[in-house]
Amino acid sequence: MKYALFLGCTAPTKARNYELSTRRVAEAIGIELIDLPEFECCGFPVKSVHYESFILIAARNLIAAEDAGLNICVLCSACAGTLVEVSRYLASNDKARQKVLSKLGKEDGKYGFAQNIKVKHLIRILHEDLGSEKISSKIKRKLSGITVAPHYGCHYLKPSDIYDNYDDSENPHSLDELIEITAAKSIDYLEKEHCCGAGVLAINEDIALSIAQKKLDSVKVSGADAIVLMCPFCGAMYDENQKRIGTKFQTSYNLPVLYYPQLLGLALGINRKLLGFNLNKVKADSLLERIETKSMQNEQCKFSS
Amino acid sequence: MSCILVVDDEPVVLDGCEATLTKTGYEVETTLNAEEALDKIEAGRYDAIVTDLKLPGLSGIQLLKIVKDKEPETDIIMITGYATVQTAVEAMKLGAFDYISKPFTPDELRSVVDRAIERRRLLREERLRATKNRVAFEYNMPADLYYLPEHSWVKVVTENTVDIGIDDVFQKTIGVITDIKIPSKDTIIEQGNPCAEIYGAAGRVYKLLAPVNGQIAEVNELLKKDSSLLNSDPYGKGWIARIRTSDFAKELANLLSGDAMIRWWLRREIVERKTDRYVQISALNPNFKHEIAREPGGENIKVCFGCGICTATCPVREIDSKYNPRKIIRMALLGMKERILKSDFIWLCSTCYACTERCPQDVKFTNIVNAIKNIAVKEGYTHPVFTAQVDLLAKHGRLYEIDEFDNRRREKLGLPKLWTGEGSAAKIFETSGLLDILKK
Ligand code: SF4
Ligand code: SF4
Repeated sequence: MKYALFLGCTAPTKARNYELSTRRVAEAIGIELIDLPEFECCGFPVKSVHYESFILIAARNLIAAEDAGLNICVLCSACAGTLVEVSRYLASNDKARQKVLSKLGKEDGKYGFAQNIKVKHLIRILHEDLGSEKISSKIKRKLSGITVAPHYGCHYLKPSDIYDNYDDSENPHSLDELIEITAAKSIDYLEKEHCCGAGVLAINEDIALSIAQKKLDSVKVSGADAIVLMCPFCGAMYDENQKRIGTKFQTSYNLPVLYYPQLLGLALGINRKLLGFNLNKVKADSLLERIETKSMQNEQCKFSS
Repeated sequence: MSCILVVDDEPVVLDGCEATLTKTGYEVETTLNAEEALDKIEAGRYDAIVTDLKLPGLSGIQLLKIVKDKEPETDIIMITGYATVQTAVEAMKLGAFDYISKPFTPDELRSVVDRAIERRRLLREERLRATKNRVAFEYNMPADLYYLPEHSWVKVVTENTVDIGIDDVFQKTIGVITDIKIPSKDTIIEQGNPCAEIYGAAGRVYKLLAPVNGQIAEVNELLKKDSSLLNSDPYGKGWIARIRTSDFAKELANLLSGDAMIRWWLRREIVERKTDRYVQISALNPNFKHEIAREPGGENIKVCFGCGICTATCPVREIDSKYNPRKIIRMALLGMKERILKSDFIWLCSTCYACTERCPQDVKFTNIVNAIKNIAVKEGYTHPVFTAQVDLLAKHGRLYEIDEFDNRRREKLGLPKLWTGEGSAAKIFETSGLLDILKK
């Protein structure tokens, strides 16, 4: 299983723990990730400003993958949404495709976009292409006793009309299922489908932090040990900004925020340092110690029995 | 087949309309003046009438008044020139369905007629269903209640107490309500802020916005046990809570009596001429909705029927009432172009797509607001954050620069080096003309 890894702007600069854990997990479960030097910003930031530029930037990235003959694995949900949307649009709209290819100085007829390559979020690849059986067979350490709150964010499944009915945008389950492969418990909580607010952070910080606060409050009430997510923007809101949100609303959350590959990496027995836990803003040390103690106890049980 | 009557004193306009509407599948009759139109209306039934405002003899407005008097359900679409926009707005107050300005394209004509016919079809269906099921006609808002446009109602009980509930527009749009979470007695509620959570099909959660300020004096315990009362009797046994109000007289200014939402809009923004807060009639641009519809993503704006589900779902609206998706659409449909493009609020969408997923009309508000922002940029109203982002992309190909120092850190962490330098965005922006647009 081979994919071109699309990092986007945020993951390689603001969420290196996500990138690190993804690479280590991919190695462990047999996904080959190829870095293409042509990959740049996906185009999402200019969608609000100039639609044509948005299409051109996204198309350029898609063409690079098509030239390499590779499907794309995306870490950021907004990048995934952008690349899926544009690849479908250009595959089904001849006029737009011809115009875009001519503007990019590419030959028409050579590129089929969604007809030739697939763009998928990492989580969808794990859930749909790899599947629970394959992943389960590689699990070395069960994370039982740990309870986590899954955060799907918005662009992973929405707008649903570009994702071919994969999962259910209103009642999603793919991330819950992936969490449960590790034997950690995935819990339901109020505001589970709520937006993280990152989309408006640069425009109006107050609104963004207040939106994020809603979910942090709900997760806290739910008693989860951590939030598990899959998008560097959401990570920035709940991890990087957690302290600020706490100060703003006079509360303290101390809620570790894990990217899913970090959680899976622990279950695959990968050393926590290799999974980038030292880069998490809200330290997950006590949670990690609990996991390690539990796993040592299990080992001892094995020896004594 | 729906039958449309077109009235205009210019034969070339009549021919154009007839050709377009016939091609769309309508039966079309035409006439050159209002007097003949009235004879035709007397003799036959038309599903919609498209009429020019300026006609020899009886004017389009007089025709509208006579028809609306006799057959209030017949939808009338006014054709207007730029100079007569104000009269067109007057016409809407008198019950016209909508207006289109000359010159208009076949698509614009088709779109407005399709909407009128679709509305008529829905009304008929509802009637039929209502008669069959012996239930009240849909969207039946009792006249003695007051309403917050975001779908909550208020019934005055005593001088200082009111009952609150949800209106049937909301209930019928979201479908069967499966549960409701009401805060406990003594909780303080604030007008315009969430006061209850309503659970619809497939576990969807909607926030109900409080119609008044005050303290909960009593919760409808019956409703807590049986949320189906919201479906079967939203204005009676389905009341939600009794509230001790703090300053009801003042809050009344934000509530409406049981009238259709669009009437409220027209009254507030046009009839009462609240020009301090709202736009001047002369600044209305009836073509704005068509302009949005021509932008990628803006295509569905005209099918919005103002149900407000988008507003009830929006996480930004929950925090800041300045941002209101339904209001933005209404403003756009009314032609408040300048006020929208100059506003700060269009930049507040967090692109969560919740509104898009739940809209019963498939309007795709997230895309609509993007289309509006694209127009704002072309007209020179770019938010500085986006100008800065375009600048960064043009310089580095990414939103964040990566230099050798970053790459050393990456290597230390066991990550591969990334390319550094300019990237290709600057060239793309040159090709697409974005840099020139931003310089404007
Ligand atoms: S955009 Fe959709 S949800 Fe919003 S008011 Fe219009 S029809 Fe209703
Ligand atoms: S996409 Fe924008 S308008 Fe729609 S619900 Fe989300 S924040 Fe509100």
